[in-house]
Amino acid sequence: MKKKVLAALLCAAMTATLLAGCGSKAETPADTPAAEEPAETPAEGEGEEPAEAPAGDAGAMSFEIVSKGLQHEYWQAVKQGVESKAAELGVKVNFVGPDSESNIDQQVTQLENALNAKPTAIGLAALSTDAVKDQLQTCLDNNIPVIGFDSGVPDAPEGSVLANCSTNNYNAGAVAAEEVYKAVKDRIDGTVRIGIVAQDATSESVVNRGLGFIDKFAELAVADGHTATVVGNEKYVSDSKCEKTDGANVILDVRVPSEVDSAKSLQDVNSLLGEKDILALYGSNEHSANAIVSAADNHSEIGIGDDKVIAAGFDSGAAQIEAVKNGILLGAITQAPVQMGEKLVESLYAAANGETVEDIDTGCQWYTAENIEDPAIWDNLYGK
Amino acid sequence: MTEKKKGNAFTENPLVRAIGVQKIVVVFVLIAMLIIFSAASSAFRQYSTLLSVMDCTYYLALLGIGVTFCLITGGVDLSIGTGMFCYALVGGFLITQKDMPVIVGILATVFCGLLVGTINGLIVSRGGHAPFLATLCTMMIVRGMGAIITGNASVTWPSSSSPIGWTRRIFKMDIGGMKVPIGFLWVLILAVVMSIFLNKTRPGRYIIAIGSNKEATRLSGVNVATYQTLAYVISGIFTGLAALAYSSAFQSMIPGGGGGIELNAIGGAIIGGTSMSGGSGTISGTIIGVFLMSILQTGLPMIGLQANWQQIIIGLVLIVAVYIDVLKNKKLV
Repeated sequence: MKKKVLAALLCAAMTATLLAGCGSKAETPADTPAAEEPAETPAEGEGEEPAEAPAGDAGAMSFEIVSKGLQHEYWQAVKQGVESKAAELGVKVNFVGPDSESNIDQQVTQLENALNAKPTAIGLAALSTDAVKDQLQTCLDNNIPVIGFDSGVPDAPEGSVLANCSTNNYNAGAVAAEEVYKAVKDRIDGTVRIGIVAQDATSESVVNRGLGFIDKFAELAVADGHTATVVGNEKYVSDSKCEKTDGANVILDVRVPSEVDSAKSLQDVNSLLGEKDILALYGSNEHSANAIVSAADNHSEIGIGDDKVIAAGFDSGAAQIEAVKNGILLGAITQAPVQMGEKLVESLYAAANGETVEDIDTGCQWYTAENIEDPAIWDNLYGK
Repeated sequence: MTEKKKGNAFTENPLVRAIGVQKIVVVFVLIAMLIIFSAASSAFRQYSTLLSVMDCTYYLALLGIGVTFCLITGGVDLSIGTGMFCYALVGGFLITQKDMPVIVGILATVFCGLLVGTINGLIVSRGGHAPFLATLCTMMIVRGMGAIITGNASVTWPSSSSPIGWTRRIFKMDIGGMKVPIGFLWVLILAVVMSIFLNKTRPGRYIIAIGSNKEATRLSGVNVATYQTLAYVISGIFTGLAALAYSSAFQSMIPGGGGGIELNAIGGAIIGGTSMSGGSGTISGTIIGVFLMSILQTGLPMIGLQANWQQIIIGLVLIVAVYIDVLKNKKLV
């Protein structure tokens, strides 16, 4: 009996600690009632029919921006870009976002509040297009221009979203290819292999980052008189624009694990390193770049130098940033959330002035041990 | 595979009986695999391959040791894969986001495992839930918890170059510039301890007895619920230890991950001769089985096999292993 009571007490204590842990976490968002803020901003923006505001009357403009998140450093970087550009143009902005990317209801409420504020224009990165269809219609009816950003508003009703400001992943992959090619081009002698470690062959962003790299690398190699081919995962082989030559001397070898599992991606890197002709590695997102970093713990051949396997990554997780600083990775590509925020405000400004707006590639940056501390880059990294 | 040709003279040899037919077969298969992979790929023969096999073995072996106890009672623990991720996320979160001492993070990781293991055990033994269902539920719960506690962000344990990065060297020491897979020793020690616990102590024997015949065990006056719970508690603690091994090898983890890893560990235990129907199983068999799984996972990509074919081969190996178990129950082997 005594044992049972003890066991019960122990369990109660454990549950209590667990609940206490969760409780303190849950309170944080409640303290910052982001949803209530927008109400104050519009009071100062007088324009009742904002779309007609004369060009250059920036002081009367107010933009509402509803993001997919707020706390994460990535969104903070977007916000930073938004605010600096708004200050430069002299417009008012209000940047809000839900506590997590699963809080669709919260985002809808924030968008409602944004509409009630009667803004000149709205920036939106929707969690669910379906959930905001009514609000988009309201914007159309009231002539409030909407610009998408980041992943934008996929499959939005025709005409409701004027343009998107987002990273072109294909182009970003190509930038990585240019940098890696620059580092290894003098070592292409006989057959060489470039390993592409990809997390999957299904997600739009991951696939385009891989294809952009493959196509650009092949293009550069062919321009220098080499021949190129793509082997490995069927999806990448068939979707690549690279003209596959038999017996080519530059082999782009794409490895995709059967499921997203660090151990499996680590084995992909290992087997690529096992190829005698391996010259460089590219991990097309945080997961894949981390697999290269984990492998580097066992393989001293990964690094920077003429006798090393050159490695490059994408994104800016904490382990990756560390590896770039320590010279394990030559460098990595980061999206440019700060620029995304700036471009978004520029587009909103243009749209509010009745100008035609187009989709904008907000670009990416190649960061290395040398330039990582540069504020223009550092502010864009999320894992620091 | 080979065991049929050897016939009865082989299976009735007392030494073979003592070690177990399946284990001997698996060791031979393991050696055959090592020879095949070494012959087919020069990369496989390198020291770095040994290191990465080890990186992928520690956590599987620790999960395997724990889940073997559940399997022996005739149950199963499906929460170990997502659980391992959840506990590693919690520990890493405390260290890197809450600036707590590393030791607190380590203790929290193991404590989370203990806690969830206890809950599993109580649901199964006192609540009377089928182990498969009970642990399927906790598998989902811990997956959600990990994401909530860390605020949906991935967690990166301190890297080896940072002053608090010593956790990464628990399993792989750096001696004079050479990486030594010291974790093998820790896993071996734990395996021996748990093997003695299972076979030579009263609680261990009770756990085996529950798996052979739960009703008879109860009637002979053993508190079945207590020892059944104990099996899940052990599984939970070892999942916590596996979380440390995992973060030592891979450093960063993403919320919601880990699903499917439990099947590799359970598969390893079954290849090693632990019966899915309970009542029999050995820790040494599990360790050997898990090694076979990691060797396959490392070797198959090196001989140029595409990812989905690797899955097929590992699935086939499991079918053979379970078939041996079926034959064993029919007393044919």
